[in-house]
Amino acid sequence: MISGNLGLPKTEPLFRVSGFSVEYDAAGGDVVSALRGVDLEIAQGKTLGVLGESGSGKSSLALALMRLLPRNARIAAGKIQHQGRNIAEFTSKQLREMRGAEVALISQEPALALNPVLALGKQMVDVLKAHTALSRDQLSVRSLEMLREVGFEDPERIMRAYPHQLSGGQRQRVAIAQALVCRPQLLIADEPLSSLDLVTQAEIVELLQRLKRDLNLAMLFITHHAGVLASLADHVLVMREGEVMAQGSLDALQRSADPYLQGLLSPERNLVEAAKAAGPNAAARTLLQVRGLGKKFVQQHMLSRRKFVVQSLDGINLELHEGGTVAVLGRSGSGKSTLARCIAGFETPDAGEILFGAAKRRPPRLVQMIFQDAATSLNPRFTARQIVAEPLEIARWKTEIERTARALELMEEVGLDSDSASRLAGEFSGGQRQRLALARALAAEPKLLILDEAFSGLDLPLQAQMVRLLMELQSRHGLTYLYISHDLNFIQPWAQEVVVMEAGKIVERVAPSQLAQSRHPATRALLAASERLRVPGREVTA
Amino acid sequence: MIRYLARRIIHGALLLLGVSILMFVLLQAARGEYLSDLKLNAQISPETLAGLRSQYGLDQPLPVRYWKWIKSSARGDFGYSFAYNTAASTLLWPRARNTLLLTVPAVLISWLIALPLGVLAAGSRNGWVDRVFSFGTSTLLALPDVLIALMALLIALKSGLFPVGGMTSVAAHDQSWWAWLGDVAWHMILPIAALVIGLLTMVLRHVRTSVREVLESTYMRAAEGHGLPRMKLLFRYALPAAANPLISLFGLSVALLLSVSLLIEIVMSWPGMGPLLLESILSRDLFVVIGAVMLSTVFLLLGNLLADILLYAFDPRIRRQA
Amino acid sequence: MSFLSVGSGFQRKLFKLSWAIWILVAIHVTVILAGFIAPYDYQTQDRLHPYAPPTRLHFVDCAGKFHLRPFVYVTKPADGSLTEYTQDCAQAAPIQFFLRGDGYTFLGVFKSNLHLFGVGAPANLFVLGTDGFGRDQLSRLLYGGQVSLFAGFVAAAISVIAGLFFGGIAGLYGGRIDDIAMRFAEVFITVPWFYLLIAVRAFLPLEISPVAAFLLVVAVIGVVGWGRPARLARGVILSARERNFVLAARGFGASNAYLLRRHLMPLTFRVLLTQMTVLMPQFILAEVLLSFLGLGIGEPFPSWGNMLASAQQYHVLVSYWWMLLPGLAPIPVFLAYHSLAETLQERVKSNI
Repeated sequence: MISGNLGLPKTEPLFRVSGFSVEYDAAGGDVVSALRGVDLEIAQGKTLGVLGESGSGKSSLALALMRLLPRNARIAAGKIQHQGRNIAEFTSKQLREMRGAEVALISQEPALALNPVLALGKQMVDVLKAHTALSRDQLSVRSLEMLREVGFEDPERIMRAYPHQLSGGQRQRVAIAQALVCRPQLLIADEPLSSLDLVTQAEIVELLQRLKRDLNLAMLFITHHAGVLASLADHVLVMREGEVMAQGSLDALQRSADPYLQGLLSPERNLVEAAKAAGPNAAARTLLQVRGLGKKFVQQHMLSRRKFVVQSLDGINLELHEGGTVAVLGRSGSGKSTLARCIAGFETPDAGEILFGAAKRRPPRLVQMIFQDAATSLNPRFTARQIVAEPLEIARWKTEIERTARALELMEEVGLDSDSASRLAGEFSGGQRQRLALARALAAEPKLLILDEAFSGLDLPLQAQMVRLLMELQSRHGLTYLYISHDLNFIQPWAQEVVVMEAGKIVERVAPSQLAQSRHPATRALLAASERLRVPGREVTA
Repeated sequence: MIRYLARRIIHGALLLLGVSILMFVLLQAARGEYLSDLKLNAQISPETLAGLRSQYGLDQPLPVRYWKWIKSSARGDFGYSFAYNTAASTLLWPRARNTLLLTVPAVLISWLIALPLGVLAAGSRNGWVDRVFSFGTSTLLALPDVLIALMALLIALKSGLFPVGGMTSVAAHDQSWWAWLGDVAWHMILPIAALVIGLLTMVLRHVRTSVREVLESTYMRAAEGHGLPRMKLLFRYALPAAANPLISLFGLSVALLLSVSLLIEIVMSWPGMGPLLLESILSRDLFVVIGAVMLSTVFLLLGNLLADILLYAFDPRIRRQA
Repeated sequence: MSFLSVGSGFQRKLFKLSWAIWILVAIHVTVILAGFIAPYDYQTQDRLHPYAPPTRLHFVDCAGKFHLRPFVYVTKPADGSLTEYTQDCAQAAPIQFFLRGDGYTFLGVFKSNLHLFGVGAPANLFVLGTDGFGRDQLSRLLYGGQVSLFAGFVAAAISVIAGLFFGGIAGLYGGRIDDIAMRFAEVFITVPWFYLLIAVRAFLPLEISPVAAFLLVVAVIGVVGWGRPARLARGVILSARERNFVLAARGFGASNAYLLRRHLMPLTFRVLLTQMTVLMPQFILAEVLLSFLGLGIGEPFPSWGNMLASAQQYHVLVSYWWMLLPGLAPIPVFLAYHSLAETLQERVKSNI
């Protein structure tokens, strides 16, 4: 049943977690500890922000609150009380009554959070049905109301639609509507933004802020992005390796001198010094020129003569200078990845040309690319040494022994322990894998590195570390970067020029310092979104 | 919907064409044919033989023979049976009907049992249920089909409760229509049971695996987080989401069943396509062989078409593509 | 959280993998050593003992005296019956080990007549009874295993190699070649498998020598089954070609030969090796079925299929249960292969 916010003494929090520890049985009989002695309270109508890197145990916390931990997880110590009752002792009926009606969960991947084969309306109505005794008409009225509340103007159409017919942002809205349709007191949001692009992220944050106010909703907001919490959280809990390492208001935390906290809260700060060391380099020679580049993709349906032409690139002109960094910004689908693949030589453009210095022919290994997904850019059957030495092996560079020595050297250079050279690619973490990919690219001794959303899968502090490493490498080896991104993080201290793309065209070129004054709508949308997700009061200047 | 189905039907027709061409190429490679056995017969003169050959068109080149066969198939004859001196179709149709009489109920029964059982097994969190299920199904899966058929026959012989082989009792012709029907049904029980055993375990295992996979997905956890009742989660949320691979499996299961049925029919003397195929192979009656293969392919394609329709009904993503 | 995906049943799976491999190794070694382990040759007939039941092993003699060493009594047909036997309490023969008997050739090279166990004449040791010609079932089962298991293995190898070749070409070249190859494969995949198998066999000569029949059956099974491995190989190569690590290697200036050797082939091999464990039981069964129907390997050579053929006669099926044993023989092989295939498939899935 839907229970209102009445009748509870003010002293009793919605959830009280005390001394809570969770362990996972991992491969080979190992026990991995995910949470260690966590204490926290979630009060009525308040938002608790949980900040931490991936692997810090924050998702386990979210699942534990709903008793949804996977089967190989075990509660090692402590308890979770929901309004004074220990949830470990709940019967399955009591659990069902709590889930969805009193506590609701929205998770990382809105695309994966909705059943792909059921109409959205049915999925909404079923939640209501499970917790109320409303009539058929009332069910649909309530669902429509809720969809309108999360910002849909034509909720009838959404009710009939299936998840694949909506965009990522719309799906997350539906997931939120579904979670809140029974008016729960607490919403647990587990990294609800990480798979959305910047502009959509800002929209969802705004929505959550409004719902929180209108519905007097308590929230547990889990993220690795401190900026999001600035406008949402009343109280922030910082987690590290399963433990609560600090808590307080975001302002108070920012005043802390702890370097780990600093890295987590404002990752960009560390970059300023590195940028100064690198120094301006824009007067250098032209490395590469792109002239009037165009690329079309033709899609044809089986047995149907109709062809669809997608203009992915249209009249792109771009110049890259040695030792410089150019950032290409744009929302997903703007053609920025196609541009990267054309320059890297993985796609053949239909129009225009790419000039390398004066030569039209591509000098071997001059351009290297770091891919978005580190997991698929490394062969899982290769060891770290084999991965890094691969370009050398292909180029038949010296002997096997010298190649190995060089590979170890490169691993050290990108900050990896050369003792781990015989481990397989899959045994490294996401950030380490991206470093391996970087070391491999460096082995080819390129002049230009293309970073195609290379960090978007990483937590912000890790991203900052990578950018810092790249800046150091730039000043040491005179590398040129083409940095492709959908957000504005790290652009300020790093890039000399920002190029904004939309629908296959370059719509604006601007120096990073002038970005804030831009008038173009595409740029303004990116700026506005980034503003909303920024930690205030700590502006970073180059 | 109609365009989607039309596309599937055209695809199936092209496949049938491909199968028939393959069959004729193989036929050409065949060294023996029905008439070559007659050569050994001293009472038939070489002239008669040559006459017969040209009468049946066996002296003509392959493309011509193929074209003739296509024309004959378009009439519904499927070529000529040398052994029975009649159109191949007159032999094939009644046999095909009898084969369907076994396979259609067997497919339905297997799926009707396997679906709920597999979903429940997938949803079970009890280690013992898991172990018993795994052990039981993998043992059943390892039973060779021949053994299942022979065991069914043995049961019929030993117990005396079931008729031994065939489709009707000898005296059945004199009886009323209803009695005849009961008699046939009585004969059907054991072969169908053998078929179901052959098919059920495979389907059961696949249902459990597919549903398990879905149960581990984020959206199932989300649905559980919304407090939906367990049976609703399993049957209304997980099962439809697992439908896509299962419906493809439905097409495959029809293929498997046709193959198993071939064997069971032979062992249990059920007058289906199996015994006919074996008999015509031994007597080198090759058009009947080709006809049987083509017919079995048609059944399979019909099964696949049914699967396509189900897929269209169940999966909104397919509907968009169509 | 990456440690969640590793799964907790890892050790159990490793254990499962090992028992399956041990069973397969044990069965194959036993079958290869058939000449030594089997007490008789597969052709040796005992005209006085058709359909003899398994010989009874005794520790206690007719006089009630206990012997440490097991022994058998000489049997002879009962009066007025061809298929019932009586024991002669006067003539006992102890089980002997490493005794001389029928000659055999081991691995096609070494000639020997040493047998692991047996009894001296005139007694007989039919552990699993005899068939209608008075041939020892156990010996024929072991020799038949050579035929059936080897047929399955060679046929699976043919299928996988053909699949690798055509699927590899289709995946590598793409376009028109890919279209043609895959349409061709689809024809083989579409027809109900056993129908196609029998039909292809039907077009080939029926009355040929047993060795030729064996080769023919193996070739037919292998050729009919090439479609699925081809489709698999093509899929793996096609998807691997678009993998980022292959793109990256191309960016380093790698040649096609290098990509094939270092990235594409190892991946394809793993998938096809797994496919081989799926195909092997299927193809062993195919040989058994063909021989059972009289379209495979013929007399006097035993195969699990043609040994089972006599059980189709009602009186044999009802009276002589040991004639069904060849139908049980494939079960442990299938169990082990299924388990192996399941484990390998999971590993390939999680590793691609």
